[in-house]
Amino acid sequence: MVEVLQQIINGIAIGGVYVLIALGLTTVFGILGIAHFAHGSVSMFGGYLTFFFVTSWGIPLLLAILIALLVGLVLGVLIELLAYRPVRDANHINAFIVALGLTMMVEGINLELFGHEQVVIPTDFSRVFNIGGVTIPELRLYVILAAALLIAAMTVFVERTKTGQAIRAVAENRDAAILMGVNVKTIPLVVFAISTALGVCAGVMVGSLFAIAPGIGEGLVVKGFAVLILGGLGSIPGAVVGGLVLGITEALAAGFISSAYKDVIAFVVMISVLLFRPQGLMGKA
Amino acid sequence: MRLTALTAAMVMTAGAAWAEEKTLDIGVSDALTGGGAVYGLPQTNAVKLAAKEINASGGIKVGEDTYMLNVIAYDDKANPTEASNAVRKLIDRDGVKYILGFCCSGATGAVASFIEYEDAVMLVGNAAERSITTREIPNLTRTRPPADYTGAAAGTFVAEKGHKRVAVLGALDVGFYASYVDAFEKELEKAGGEIVSREAFGLKDRDMSPQLTKIRGQEPDAILVVGYVEPAAFIYRQAVELGIDVPRYGFTSGSEDQFTRVATSEQMEGVWDLRPTELTLLSASENGKAYHANYTEEFGIAPSPSSPYSYDQTYALKDAIEAAGTVEDTEAVAEALREIAVPDEVVMQYLPVDDKMFDENGQAYTSNGAFQWQGGNWVFVQDLPSDAAAYSAFLSTLDD
Repeated sequence: MVEVLQQIINGIAIGGVYVLIALGLTTVFGILGIAHFAHGSVSMFGGYLTFFFVTSWGIPLLLAILIALLVGLVLGVLIELLAYRPVRDANHINAFIVALGLTMMVEGINLELFGHEQVVIPTDFSRVFNIGGVTIPELRLYVILAAALLIAAMTVFVERTKTGQAIRAVAENRDAAILMGVNVKTIPLVVFAISTALGVCAGVMVGSLFAIAPGIGEGLVVKGFAVLILGGLGSIPGAVVGGLVLGITEALAAGFISSAYKDVIAFVVMISVLLFRPQGLMGKA
Repeated sequence: MRLTALTAAMVMTAGAAWAEEKTLDIGVSDALTGGGAVYGLPQTNAVKLAAKEINASGGIKVGEDTYMLNVIAYDDKANPTEASNAVRKLIDRDGVKYILGFCCSGATGAVASFIEYEDAVMLVGNAAERSITTREIPNLTRTRPPADYTGAAAGTFVAEKGHKRVAVLGALDVGFYASYVDAFEKELEKAGGEIVSREAFGLKDRDMSPQLTKIRGQEPDAILVVGYVEPAAFIYRQAVELGIDVPRYGFTSGSEDQFTRVATSEQMEGVWDLRPTELTLLSASENGKAYHANYTEEFGIAPSPSSPYSYDQTYALKDAIEAAGTVEDTEAVAEALREIAVPDEVVMQYLPVDDKMFDENGQAYTSNGAFQWQGGNWVFVQDLPSDAAAYSAFLSTLDD
């Protein structure tokens, strides 16, 4: 029983990261219909930036994260304005190609600015809590709590604020939103800013829990899209459920079936779910 | 009289031209980016350092000529396709005949499969897959001993420590890591021990807590970690976080710097690394200490333990070219490589077979050693069984 609980805790920590990646992707895809492949590389950029602020400029970690978040918001706006807006009214394949090109570009920028070495964001959180035989490293606990907080904040923003309602309106019916007076030109900017900031948070989590290195972002974005499909395209609750399901399934598969095939098993579970619910766990039929 | 003087002048001028300084391009194919860069980049730097030293001390003497080395390095990303492309580019476009580096087995194996048909000599460094030197490729040599040569020694050592139940966590889809574990298991079983679990991870994985949780539940006497430095460092850290307090053994060849980027020195304390006796500053020879100092000064970072494999290649190549008396005849240089003694300048502690650096398979052997993390450093604790002659004879019986 302790082992099962331990694996679930392991899965929730990595699942939290998947959720944040998927939340960023799902808002962009659900509202704008763009498969934003560069999201993983942008997340890594946020992680690298935090690492740089902490190690090169000696900025305290929380302040460094805050600055990286602000940079993320601006970067999101720039990505929308410079990369996606020019092809917004063109065929979908154009945005698809822009997304691929942007991925390569951001990866190249990361490599050029921060080098090829793996980096780990240093933290002072080295305590380990032991609750009835289940161990929780302090850092993982904070990652889980931070992910929960961001999910809650995102939910409140989308459900309770005027901008959030406008975003949902555009996602539901763009033409009707225009008729209702929603400024559909600013909505994509807000969406990309939020999405990129969430990605930066995920990058910081990956960078402190594990490591940031060239190529890590690509793996993350694949997992993010898997969560998106599992949870239901464009669904925020779906991203949360999907991320946690994927994280916990991976941990349980590695622990109880085979570590060599943990990714395969997780994807088999995902496919099985989709056989019965093609719209995803929380998607609308 | 005038004709004689003119002829003499022409001969002298021609002689002077023959004795002119020439440039010999040598190639490096290695992982400069990606997961293998922790081994490939230091290897490439080591070749550059050796070339600089050789040039500073007068270059390579071939008859009347002196050759200064020029290093052309390409990133093979430890990827078989990239490595094949890099070597093709070196041979076909750059006209290179001597290719060094090769940190990683997959990429090295791909190049080894066609190098025999090329007018070139391939000198392999850190890549440890056994089959690289069982194919009887006449123009290939390797400075690092195969993984199972070290794995067997490690198994004996761990069994002597009294461990009966060992859990393995490794990059087991990589051939040479698997062969290290197989050889390890064989020796452990001879002493009545067993491997209770073989858990795997991918080279890009950084979260091994699910595997470690499973291992914790099996209550082993010890764990053995085989894999690249970066994932291995995470395993050591996460094992402590999960409260696993059994001895941790490994086969990683990482430097102190590489480990402490991920885990604290406290989390690393007591970890063993059972590997060829590679560069460790605290137990280095005079050559090793000089190499460490020069490398650090040149590149602003300490060298990795395995980087001298390629530094030593470069000096072996120099001696072979000088012995063969040619840079053009690669066949003669390849033959000379198999005849040379261990060069004076090498850093690793080689065990010559029949007084030669490389055996008939083109394989060199170092001693094996047990290193332990103590107070922030890898400390050489003891030699491990290293019968180079017996292993060389065994290697000659294989054909795969």
